[in-house]
Amino acid sequence: MTTEATPLKGNNNKRNNMIVVEMIHVKKSFGENQVLCDINLVINKGENLVILGKSGTGKSVLIKCIVGLDILDDGKLVILGKNISELNDKELMVIRRKIGFLFQSGALYDSMTVRENLEFPLRRQLITIPKEKMDMLIKEALEDVGLAETIDLSPSELSGGMRKRLGLARTLILKPEIMLYDEPTTGLDPITSKEISSLILEVQKKYNTSSIIITHDINCAKLTADRIIVLKDGICAAEGSYSDLKNSTDAWIQAFFE
Amino acid sequence: MKKIIKKQSSNGNLEEEVFPEITSVKISGSVIERFFEEVSSLTIFALRFFKEIVKPPFEFNEMLKQSFQIGYRSLPLVGITGFIIGLVLTIQSRPTLAKFGAESWLPAMVAVSIIREIIPVITALIFAGKVGSGIGAELASMNVTEQIDAMKVSCTNPFKYLVVTRVLSATLMLPLLVVFADIIGLLGAFVGVNLKGSVSSYLFFSQIFQSLEFIDIFPAFIKTFFFGFAIGIIGSYKGYNSYKGTEGVGKAANSSVVFGSLMVFIIDMIAVQITSFFQN
Repeated sequence: MTTEATPLKGNNNKRNNMIVVEMIHVKKSFGENQVLCDINLVINKGENLVILGKSGTGKSVLIKCIVGLDILDDGKLVILGKNISELNDKELMVIRRKIGFLFQSGALYDSMTVRENLEFPLRRQLITIPKEKMDMLIKEALEDVGLAETIDLSPSELSGGMRKRLGLARTLILKPEIMLYDEPTTGLDPITSKEISSLILEVQKKYNTSSIIITHDINCAKLTADRIIVLKDGICAAEGSYSDLKNSTDAWIQAFFE
Repeated sequence: MKKIIKKQSSNGNLEEEVFPEITSVKISGSVIERFFEEVSSLTIFALRFFKEIVKPPFEFNEMLKQSFQIGYRSLPLVGITGFIIGLVLTIQSRPTLAKFGAESWLPAMVAVSIIREIIPVITALIFAGKVGSGIGAELASMNVTEQIDAMKVSCTNPFKYLVVTRVLSATLMLPLLVVFADIIGLLGAFVGVNLKGSVSSYLFFSQIFQSLEFIDIFPAFIKTFFFGFAIGIIGSYKGYNSYKGTEGVGKAANSSVVFGSLMVFIIDMIAVQITSFFQN
């Protein structure tokens, strides 16, 4: 377990050691509120990294920085070998295409049907895609998340769990290399939460994605994590496997597992 | 009321420093500051619209969809309002004209009033209420539910997709709606004229066309493009930059209507000044 902010090396034994995301001395503040003080972390190819932490510790800000929704104040962010701050808009767009983001709310387009929600990213990124190929990709993505029968429904007709799964299908349809999950099980019952956690694992196996999962749900962390990082006061306060952290003697870390 | 602050002096003693009460100045200062901040960020937002509008890719499908929503779906409301305005204006004007023995001027007077001023302004106000608030609420709600962020991460420019299409549709649809409302308004006036008397449609419309001049129609038509643009850009600005939360959605919808309507009157005032300048 690390107790201070040093560059974390990740679980190098488990995966093939190719670093897909590296954050070095990353800082981010909103006005006078310093949210990320000095974040150092790495994610290896095919690895599931879970980030735990109390509300307001900057977990969501961290993944929003990775996808470019928030801009870093200081530090270095390297994604798939490219230093983000050195890229122009076009190069940044190429990197963004390789990152999938599952929003906490699902962020489905209310005015579109399930099919149109899935068509939208395809049409934007694969402009010349033939209709048959598009239909096939949509069908495959919906089958992956078990929603094949909902294709003509509108998002308002879906339950919370189904909306999350549809959000995941919309992200997966572009076959991202890195998946970012913002509290994927929040607001769901324990059974649906378990289904979503299993789905995250299936996605990782099928597409060999590297994932960062932001969660408060310790069961989700247990099921999905190859490695867990605990954020405290804007730094990575602890790192280890689920069992390492569960057996920690630190009362603050133990509080997450009670 | 005075404000007293205790400070430690260089020799270590506590000294009292008295400041006059400046709350009212502070408040008015912050209001003025906020006003200019709002105007400058709205101007930057509008300039971004002109920058994005010429940059590919062009969102034709979304623009057509928005034009249908904004234009076609507003036809019944605008039509009914136009008819009532034409009818009521005719009924209300008749007694006054009759007093001066100028009843025969009724069609010409009503037509000039309707086409030059009343229908463009009233239609724009209705448009601000229906379309401006709709754009503000829709974009604010998309902001709250992270749909705009979802577009950004799927490599879509949400400004181009959501704002440019809506503002352009509003700018192009309002003039068409005003032309439609003008026609329906004149039909309403024809019904109004015939409620107490009998005037043939030929006589009625030939009187109207004789009385109308280019200077009556052209400026009235051109200013509606500016009305539509102002309503669209204010609705989009308020929605796109709304604060997170449901309160933000309500505020965005409300301020879209208030500021959109206010801008209609300001543009109308400027348009009248410019028209008068050329008439003289």
